Amino acid sequence: MSDTVIQIAGVTKSFLRGVNAVDDVTLSVARGETLGIVGESGSGKSTLLRMILRLIRPSAGSITLDGRDVWAASGRDLKQARRQMQAVFQDPASSFNPRQSIGAILAAPLEVHGIGDRASRARRIGETLERVGLPATTVSRYPHQLSGGQRQRVAIARAVIMRPAVVLADEPTSALDVSVQAQVLKLFREIKDELGLTSVFVSHNLAVIREVSDRVAVMRHGKLIEIGTAERVFTAPESDYTRALIDAVPDPFRRFRAPVELESGS
Amino acid sequence: MATAAGFDFRRWRLVLLGGLLVGIVLFAAIFAPWVAPYSPFDLDVAKMLQGPSAAHWLGTDELGRDVLSRAIYAARISMQVALLAVTVGLVGGTLIGMTAAYFGGLVEQALMRAMDLLFSFPAILLAVVLMASLGTSVLNAMIAIGIVFIPGFSRLARASTQAVLRQQYIEAARSIGMSDIRIIFREILPNITAPLMVEAAVAFAYAVLLESALSFLGLGAQPPDPSWGNMLSTGRGFMAQAPWLSIVPGMAMFICVLGFNLLGDGLRDVTDPHMRE
Repeated sequence: MSDTVIQIAGVTKSFLRGVNAVDDVTLSVARGETLGIVGESGSGKSTLLRMILRLIRPSAGSITLDGRDVWAASGRDLKQARRQMQAVFQDPASSFNPRQSIGAILAAPLEVHGIGDRASRARRIGETLERVGLPATTVSRYPHQLSGGQRQRVAIARAVIMRPAVVLADEPTSALDVSVQAQVLKLFREIKDELGLTSVFVSHNLAVIREVSDRVAVMRHGKLIEIGTAERVFTAPESDYTRALIDAVPDPFRRFRAPVELESGS
Repeated sequence: MATAAGFDFRRWRLVLLGGLLVGIVLFAAIFAPWVAPYSPFDLDVAKMLQGPSAAHWLGTDELGRDVLSRAIYAARISMQVALLAVTVGLVGGTLIGMTAAYFGGLVEQALMRAMDLLFSFPAILLAVVLMASLGTSVLNAMIAIGIVFIPGFSRLARASTQAVLRQQYIEAARSIGMSDIRIIFREILPNITAPLMVEAAVAFAYAVLLESALSFLGLGAQPPDPSWGNMLSTGRGFMAQAPWLSIVPGMAMFICVLGFNLLGDGLRDVTDPHMRE
């Protein structure tokens, strides 16, 4: 087995009224690979991501990052884990503090982890902005002055400025126009390859998942339906649900094929 | 908010009108020694209870003191009390409200139930009880009125904080490992100031009224220091002979309270995104 970075074992999250948002999920992510998690709204994919990020506490199971239990960590270990793992969030409108300039937003992770002095931070912010394709003058801009695509570039910059080992992305492109989406995805892939990042990429969009993932996990109603290499899952899906999901993607060249019917509602 | 698109007078007219009235009162309070024609303490029994005249525009009181001058100096006390009281209420209430919303659970229950307890007393009764236990002085009036304001500010701060907590930038801040203190002061506080400022303007008006009420009851500013409340209180005895003794401090309070209320309402309209066309 290859070098495992994230190990999720038997993780369950139950909310009130006994509904399991995430139900006994076990999976692992190897170093340098991108795991795409796909599923419809409410499938528990974002909840799973938030549990890895230590934002929502799992009801059962364990999550380890580089062999360290994320939820048992505290103090320096926790800070170390946080530093290793950064996130890109879905909503470009609400994922930045509207009262802070982009410079302040990008400086925050460095300040929190005590990296560098004022000058070296400024240099690093400049380099990172350049890397994500934004002009250096962006530092003095405020989030509302940027477009959705530019904001997601800033979000990627914020995630990689710490040089983390792992980047977790929660639907980072779903609020963007298709053309902008493609650019942001391309950037994400380039940066990921450059820095040798391990990543988990959550999306409801199969095309996006196929574009970025090495392996794909399909979730439904909190359960892991299937997991495998992207190639295998997309060409030879094991479960009916995955097949239905793939068939639901509008494809102008495939319109005469009969759709796969699912027994229980979609 | 005013953008480069030009100044929208209609949107800002309440703020401007309120600001003008508040400005007049503040100007009188700050520059009282230069604005007032006489000392507020100069007695001249020969001239007592004179009606408005060229020498004394708003007449004289039962000890022959110039009513206009006393009303102007009284603005000083009112503004000082209101400023400190609102500061106490704003700072105390904001800290309590943000703490309650941020930590939730038992902390929130304990803090907010304590606030409910304070809130359940009528404001004037609570202020009188606090004054009775703290002792009679202007400083204690400030503290008492400030404590009266804490529950209102804390509820507003809590509700505003809860709204901000749902924003993704809070999750982002947590995920980069930011400390709770830093999240509260750097991420949340700057985003809840607008509603708190509106509330502060309205509280300012209310503080002026409360201070006057306490002074009227003899619990605030002590004679011979002039305060609108104690001027009104003495004027009451001369209502038939010298109505200006009651009318002048009453009008002063009216202008001041109206000014702060207009300012508060205007700021609310200006900062409320739903009111924008």
